[in-house]
Amino acid sequence: MRQLTRRQRIAALALIATALCFLTLDLGGGALRTAHNGVRGALGSLYRGTDGVLGPVRRFVQGIPSAGSNQSRVDVLRHENAVLRGELAAAAADRSTHDQLATLQLAADSTGMRVMPARVIALGPGQGFDWTVTLDAGTADGVRVGQSVTDGDGLVGRVLHADRSSSVVLLCADPGSGVGARDLRTGQIGVATGHGAAGFTFLPLNPAAKIQVGDHLATGPTGSTSYVSDLSVGVVISVRTSADGTTRADVVPTASPTALDLVGVLLAGTDNSTGRVALAPAGSPAGR
Amino acid sequence: MRYLRSVAALAAILTVSALQAALISPIAGSLPVSLPAVLVACVALADGAAVGMTFGFIAGLIADLGSSHPAGVLALTWTCLGVVCGMAATARSLREDVLTAATGVALTGAASSVLLAVVHSGGASTWGAIRDLAPCWVVAAALSCALVPLTRAFLNNSALRAAHPVLNEVRVVNRG
Repeated sequence: MRQLTRRQRIAALALIATALCFLTLDLGGGALRTAHNGVRGALGSLYRGTDGVLGPVRRFVQGIPSAGSNQSRVDVLRHENAVLRGELAAAAADRSTHDQLATLQLAADSTGMRVMPARVIALGPGQGFDWTVTLDAGTADGVRVGQSVTDGDGLVGRVLHADRSSSVVLLCADPGSGVGARDLRTGQIGVATGHGAAGFTFLPLNPAAKIQVGDHLATGPTGSTSYVSDLSVGVVISVRTSADGTTRADVVPTASPTALDLVGVLLAGTDNSTGRVALAPAGSPAGR
Repeated sequence: MRYLRSVAALAAILTVSALQAALISPIAGSLPVSLPAVLVACVALADGAAVGMTFGFIAGLIADLGSSHPAGVLALTWTCLGVVCGMAATARSLREDVLTAATGVALTGAASSVLLAVVHSGGASTWGAIRDLAPCWVVAAALSCALVPLTRAFLNNSALRAAHPVLNEVRVVNRG
């Protein structure tokens, strides 16, 4: 241990006395407040710059002791994330259902008939046909065989079979199904034969009928078809004339047979006194 | 030469202060270990008491003014650290310098905590100062392992070497 020289001892005592003066001044009031603020501001900028560079290193080192507990926290957050995603999807489904119900309400208004909303619960071959869907509404809700089904925009099909709580709908896109349809521009009547997802082929009863691309087809007048009249069937996208003069038109369907979710059964002439509430046309009493 | 040493000292103080704030303090948590204090000890061990006390006072005052506690606490304790470590500087081995620096820094940290407790600042307590003494010594020793050789290398550089030989460079040979 070396001894301090006399000058060093004096210097040390002077520095210690100065430090004590600073301490006294700062404790006695706000004499050094400005100096504090200035140095804090300068060092603060320096610290922020340094943290930008060393922050990732610091976070890595700080994360090492809690690496195990972080995994469980990650699991908890993943679970919460999954729940929130589910709620988000449910909210989106609710919005979609709301929009579909609004569309069905418009269909009820335009046809003047009550519409029973029903969810597609199964899709697939049945009843000897290829294109059918099963709905969660049955005779208890007023659904009867032969009633037309719409998605609010266009024709979907007709009820082929109904039991108490469910019903099977034959889609008009089925190759074995023919829909009596009418060209809204010319009024020509014909048969739209389903071709699955490809749409329909429209064959007018009058071989010389002038069908054009863009013509809208709707279900035919009452009595000439098994469907409710004036439901949109589709739009002509191409017209072909064969050598014998027969005209055929390819039609894209208004209601996509492969994207059905919430549909409406047009309750023609039935009462659903024990089932769910149907959508009534505007101006008529809502209810069963 | 003196101007260059002053600039280097100020740069060193700012660098270790930034490292202390961005890296050491967040990792050390409540431990009162201080990288600037370790540097003060290393400088004093390498360049003697005069340089050590001056460096300690300036570094302490900057740290005081940049913090929320009353100014003068660290200036006082780090000046004492510079004096003690400078007195202990006798051109010893690296291991002895590391142990001296760690002990000095740990005791200085405890003294600072006690002083802050006396002036009722920063939530410091005497019991906390005693409790943290051993872990603070371990961390200070680890930091000293890196800083002692680094400081020696810098201060032995021809551009930063003291104008006059410091006392620890004088070797008295007994010819009797």
